[in-house]
Amino acid sequence: MPEFDRREFLKIVGASAGAAATVGCSDPVSKLIPYVVQPEEITPGIPVYYASTCLECPAACGLHVKTREGRPIKLEGNPDHPVNRGSLCARGQSAIGRTYHPDRFAKPMRRGADGKLAAIEWDEAIALLGAELAKAGGRSWVLGGTMGPTASEFLDRWVEAVGAGGRVVYEPFAPEALVGATKTLFGVETEPIFDLSGSDLILDFGSDFLETGLSPVEHARQLATARDAAEAGRRATRFVYIGPRLSMTASNADEWLAAKPGTEGLLALGLANVALRNGGGTEAGRAVLAPALARFDAASVAQQSGVPADAIERIGKALAKAKSPVALPPGAALASRRATATCGAVLLLDWALGAIGGAVQLPADDGRRRSSYRAALALIDSMKAGKVSVLLVHGANPVYSLPAAAGFAEALEQVPFVVSFASGPDETTARAQLILPDHTPLESWGDASPRPGVRSLVQPTVRPLRDTRAFVDTLLDVGRAMGGSVAARMPEGSFRTLVEQAWTASGADFKQLLSVGGVFGDARSAGISLAGDALQLEVAEPLLEGPGQFMLLAVPSPLLYDGRGADLPWLQEIGDPVTKITWASWAELSTAAAEQLGVEYGDVIEVETVAGKLELPAYPRGGIRDDVIAIAVGQGHRVGRWATRDGERRGVNVIEALPSLTDESGGRAWLVAKASARKTGGHYRFALAQHSQDQRGRRLGLATPLAALAANGHGAPAASAAAAEGGGHGDGAAHGEHGHLKDFEPAKDSDPNSLYRWGMAIDMDRCTGCSACVAACSIENNIPVVGEEEVRRGRLMSWLRIERWVGNGSLEGGAGLDPILPDEPIGPVDVRHTAMLCQQCGAAPCEPVCPVIATYHNEDGLNGMIYNRCIGTRYCANNCPYKVRRYNWYDNHIHNWPEPMPLMLNPEVTVRGQGVMEKCTFCVQRIASARQTAKDQQRPIADGEVTTACAQACPTQAITFGNLKDESSTVVRKSDDPVRGFRSLHELNTRPAVTYLAKITRGPVEG
Amino acid sequence: MSPIQLRRRIVEAAIAASLAGGLVFGLPSPRDVSAQAESSPAAKRAQELAWDDAAPGPKQPVPFSHALHAGQFQIDCLYCHSGTDRSAVAGVPSVETCMGCHTQFGQDLEGIQILKQYWDAQEPIPWEQIHRSPEHVQFKHNRHVAAEVPCERCHGPVGEMDKLSLTSDTIWWPWLLPSKKLEMGWCVNCHRENQASQDCLTCHY
Repeated sequence: MPEFDRREFLKIVGASAGAAATVGCSDPVSKLIPYVVQPEEITPGIPVYYASTCLECPAACGLHVKTREGRPIKLEGNPDHPVNRGSLCARGQSAIGRTYHPDRFAKPMRRGADGKLAAIEWDEAIALLGAELAKAGGRSWVLGGTMGPTASEFLDRWVEAVGAGGRVVYEPFAPEALVGATKTLFGVETEPIFDLSGSDLILDFGSDFLETGLSPVEHARQLATARDAAEAGRRATRFVYIGPRLSMTASNADEWLAAKPGTEGLLALGLANVALRNGGGTEAGRAVLAPALARFDAASVAQQSGVPADAIERIGKALAKAKSPVALPPGAALASRRATATCGAVLLLDWALGAIGGAVQLPADDGRRRSSYRAALALIDSMKAGKVSVLLVHGANPVYSLPAAAGFAEALEQVPFVVSFASGPDETTARAQLILPDHTPLESWGDASPRPGVRSLVQPTVRPLRDTRAFVDTLLDVGRAMGGSVAARMPEGSFRTLVEQAWTASGADFKQLLSVGGVFGDARSAGISLAGDALQLEVAEPLLEGPGQFMLLAVPSPLLYDGRGADLPWLQEIGDPVTKITWASWAELSTAAAEQLGVEYGDVIEVETVAGKLELPAYPRGGIRDDVIAIAVGQGHRVGRWATRDGERRGVNVIEALPSLTDESGGRAWLVAKASARKTGGHYRFALAQHSQDQRGRRLGLATPLAALAANGHGAPAASAAAAEGGGHGDGAAHGEHGHLKDFEPAKDSDPNSLYRWGMAIDMDRCTGCSACVAACSIENNIPVVGEEEVRRGRLMSWLRIERWVGNGSLEGGAGLDPILPDEPIGPVDVRHTAMLCQQCGAAPCEPVCPVIATYHNEDGLNGMIYNRCIGTRYCANNCPYKVRRYNWYDNHIHNWPEPMPLMLNPEVTVRGQGVMEKCTFCVQRIASARQTAKDQQRPIADGEVTTACAQACPTQAITFGNLKDESSTVVRKSDDPVRGFRSLHELNTRPAVTYLAKITRGPVEG
Repeated sequence: MSPIQLRRRIVEAAIAASLAGGLVFGLPSPRDVSAQAESSPAAKRAQELAWDDAAPGPKQPVPFSHALHAGQFQIDCLYCHSGTDRSAVAGVPSVETCMGCHTQFGQDLEGIQILKQYWDAQEPIPWEQIHRSPEHVQFKHNRHVAAEVPCERCHGPVGEMDKLSLTSDTIWWPWLLPSKKLEMGWCVNCHRENQASQDCLTCHY
């Protein structure tokens, strides 16, 4: 059927599916509302998937939008999309909340004389903007974020047609320095494409590629492929992280070198020097670079960067030996005023090692418009000078994300007519005169091109929930309303027409493209050679403003990104992957620095830079340099239901303490200020998703050295797997103490007549701790978000959590209420991420204590939780050693899903009411749905036919779900690992169905 | 007396009651009806009965008679409730489905005129729900169709009923939850008799 029908989905949302179902007493749905005309692809009760594209960050992952009766209920990765191959990060999954956000603008809004916004009609709004534009002429400007190629090309033409002054693309974390570096070095203005999957030595100079880098999901998958355990013995890929702080990405490295921030370029050249001297790299590299690099000897680089000379020598030699090494240049957090030189130095290292053209591709410039901070600053200057009469802001929140020092907010005062296209309120709409709300990406047409060769379509999957219009359609209408020559230059049709025309220009079938999701090609470097003046890079220590003992590091938040995720409740409540703090800001500083300041965990400190002061609680840890204070970007909003605390600011916005400075190529510099800190006397109690990161030798997350893996052949009995834990982490004591560890076969813990025993294998070596699974679980299973205060009370509802364990922990200390702070030494990294969920125990401690048999063992080996039987004694949760059962202290569904959010609930999962226990069910609704197909075809459910939401979302495929009774299944093959396989709290004889595969500690890189 | 036997008795009684109600005069064959410009007296009578305030069940926005469509004309249940054999949800026919036939038939009937008003306004018909399982039940229609459970087993003698209601072995709670029928014991009885799954997780998750 044509597009009309899909958008015609529902006159009214079908009641028959019972979306807002709850257990307990609630008003029954008493009307059955059918379709007027039922679209032929929709059968009520059967989900329909549409291919689309995630627009949360410039990586542009492919989506499969799961819809039920015309409403999207979950975002999943498109398995055919080359960027994400079927998985999706937590940010991408939470983006569904934008469509159902309760505070979205219902209509165009205009600020009245009283300063308040009032709704107006579209015709009026468009006429108004048309008149203002006609009046302003060249004094009107457009400022906005990344856009797809079709919209971007249209906007260029539109700006010209209406005679506007111009257009500025502004993306806070855009890799402008990197693009500047490729231009300087190779003469092509392009964003390099990194492929880590074939590499045997990965150096990350602080790009944090697993969380906020160029393409986090893709790079996580590539890292997992490169380090695949099956290949681990042969290829032995190593990953070295170079940066001031043990970030989530660093936690996954084999070795951490705590370089002084801003000296990454020096270090890269120092490493290149050692590598080339030791016969590494390419002929050309040695010939061209070796002489020039001589002055970057290990000793002087060590002195400047703070990385020991022997480590530089050792890693340099390893680079020389490596077959396919790759180095990633720093990201936003480490972008200093010399960021272009720094990125250039790292790319030079890549070039010297022969990675350019291999693991690093430099595709030809496709002429796309790139973000330019310099242009944004120039625009601010003309605004301040009163040269801008109309400013159109789309896809960005500059009032929040530009440094206060840039003076954007003051400059806005000089602009008489500010128009925002945001779909919901933010700091910028709070200062706009006119708001023309855009559709959310789930309601709109569009496209994206994450890199040359890959083009991805965006298609609407739901009828717009509010009276909104696509940005491009609004501009078309404005252009037409202006009449005369402007109207004549507006193209025919709508945004949809433009997208269709752009995509079918080559004769392609649009429907076919929509079903695939786009055009997925490859982009390779074309004739790359080093420019003559490449060696003129001024690689030196960073220039930092102001006095102070610390360097202030503003880190892109793995969950909130540049702050755009702050009003999506899941992202606030999933614990930060490193600190596990929810709903707040914190300042990371080293334990030594904290001691010197006299502050302890949670004590409020004042951080002062030349640009401003911030007050926030301290989080002392081992994993950070003594001279650095790190604060995540993303909190400190003034607008937003979840982004603020009832209108008060939630946390701090670190951007306010940053001077506004650029690097050599005009990109935004983030590493710009020194800071001083002092104790204020206040204390803040963090709401933590995980209290302590010290596992106290309890063998919750095990690790095994690579050597043990290589040495141990197959054939060891599975039962000894847990005992085979590398490093002898106190497991002997556990055995001696309990002494009655029983062997068991999880496959036998189901009814002998049943074909199934559902089980899981979780590979801790693949798990990066990114928490995409947590978001997937929450959205699939209608899990409520409870808010900061309830998290503080330990009432987090998440069925699945990522536990972060630093080493095996210690048995010392920890008598007080505060957590034992992680030690995290510099050097070899031993951080273990354990995805903890209901273990579906064969001998579940929760079952015998339930007085009403609300929890029981079913014939397929699942630990069933029957909500409608539950009377809320909480005995089961008290008896569960894994703490995976969650209790509904309140009618969370009433508080958590304000209208229209109930529309995104999964109708296949009951919403739990007050007084009911809940927990992971291994996505039993997905098993039930796979069973339908299998039964219809009179066959058992095949391997791979059903998977859980967490396993599906995982970028690294760390989670494998399947039938333990099927000998040929992947889960059996993975679980049957005599060296790495272990079961959590095995000694309690709970007979869990989840097998963890111990993390592989690869140790320091050998020279 | 087993519940099934009891149910049969009740069905018989219901049929007898509807016969006594005067459905029987002048039954033309379906072919005859389609040929007539004017609707049959049976169709007119069926409409009246569908809005009979004395009969049990809620008044529907359109005087639609299941007895006429499913009973007399022998239209298959799945013709209108077309998702039943594929989906967990049986689904209520779209207005378009009704109009598929009624652009031709029954133009003189009041019910069809009401139907046309909905169609002209492109509004859905807000039917009153009769058979409703609680939200913590994940009932799958398609499994039951595949297992050849007749629709009447749960929905009662729909082909005999002009005005649809839960059949007479049902009493209503103030919450409109059927207590005697569509309650769990009733489901489990049938599952037990037919060796269907009795695992709680089959229906509750």
